[in-house]
Amino acid sequence: MSDEPLQARGVPTDAVLPVDTVLPVDLEAPDAVLDGFEPADLDGHTIEQLNDYLDAGRQPLDPSIENSPGCQIALSAMLRLREMSRTLLETDVLSEPAPTDTWVSGILNRIGLEARAGRDIPVQHPSPAAKLTLTEGAVRGLIRAAGDTVGGLLIGRVRLVGDVTLAGEPITVLVDASVFWGEPIVAAAARVREAIYAELLKHTELTVASIDVTVHDVHRSRAPEALLVRTDEDD
Amino acid sequence: MDVRSRLPASLPPARASVLDEADDRTLAGRAADGDVRAFEVIVRRYSPLMRAYATRVLGSNSESDDVVQEAFITAWQQLPSLNDGGVVKSWLMRIVSRKSIDRIRARKLHLDIDDHEQAAPHTASPHHVAEVHSRETALSAALNAMPEQQRQCWVLKELAEYSYDDIARELDLPLSTVRGLLARARKNLIRQMEEWR
Repeated sequence: MSDEPLQARGVPTDAVLPVDTVLPVDLEAPDAVLDGFEPADLDGHTIEQLNDYLDAGRQPLDPSIENSPGCQIALSAMLRLREMSRTLLETDVLSEPAPTDTWVSGILNRIGLEARAGRDIPVQHPSPAAKLTLTEGAVRGLIRAAGDTVGGLLIGRVRLVGDVTLAGEPITVLVDASVFWGEPIVAAAARVREAIYAELLKHTELTVASIDVTVHDVHRSRAPEALLVRTDEDD
Repeated sequence: MDVRSRLPASLPPARASVLDEADDRTLAGRAADGDVRAFEVIVRRYSPLMRAYATRVLGSNSESDDVVQEAFITAWQQLPSLNDGGVVKSWLMRIVSRKSIDRIRARKLHLDIDDHEQAAPHTASPHHVAEVHSRETALSAALNAMPEQQRQCWVLKELAEYSYDDIARELDLPLSTVRGLLARARKNLIRQMEEWR
């Protein structure tokens, strides 16, 4: 079925493998013996036990492993393998080409159709025959846009807490955000709260009880959970 | 009255550079709320890692693009349920693992005709040829030469940091089998690596 050349189908050639690499004859042999890594070499321990020991961070310290020269040799080999495995994926990533715009668009075109509408928020209308609603997704978009316009801070997740489907019900707006490096956090949070409040007042009939802004990160520092500032509406 | 019409369909380009700098939690939060532009930054940021990883699980890069694409579509659908956007990277790795394993299952259903035929090894790509004689190449070759299940178990354990239980569940294998496969994989790799010292 496949028209790929032989070496592209799993048969190692000198082009891809160093000539002096010896591949084991039977990789699936159930009792493949590995010199230096059998219980006799490991003072009675198995390589699995040693691996579990490494997984546990060598805690609690096991003198029968730590004082065994055989175990120490095996542990070093296992650590070398782990270290190499880690760098293997890193190297793989470096040699990956950046995704093409076409490929990215392929994803975005498929997801763009699925809106995140959320709950329906009622909007009053003079005519009793008309039923107007605003989607929660649209309100979240408004809040993000308000934050983006103010600047100094980038809004992340937005949650409307309370029953937004009931007119007049008090709502708490929870905003997760990150600030730009060098920006005074409290001032930026206050500015963005005002902007959000103004936008919601202008475009919705929500009764906003409070707007809580949580700043979880400062851009460029990338320090996770470095700062946590919570500001609450006073009134 | 319709606020939707007042909202920009997407952020203006000037914002895009700001989003590029944003941390994962901000981006994941925006994407969960429906911001496609934020999601695009996540896609560009993590697709090389996911592609490299899928290639290791699958033992070939021929399906990696498709698998990663599927993973991102699932991620978009499930993002609203991700409570901590800060863990979006490991969360994406879980999704791409699952998608890769699904592929392997599908492959098995369709290709039982020739059990011995293997997919194109990762080592056949030009950049790997250039790396000949590096120990990493030896590891890469050793991995690709390994029986499929051994390799999958090992990649899930060592590259994706799955627990034994998770591997057993994902690959639909008894826990004892997973332990056995991993033991063999480890021995095989240590043997090859030590020959290279």
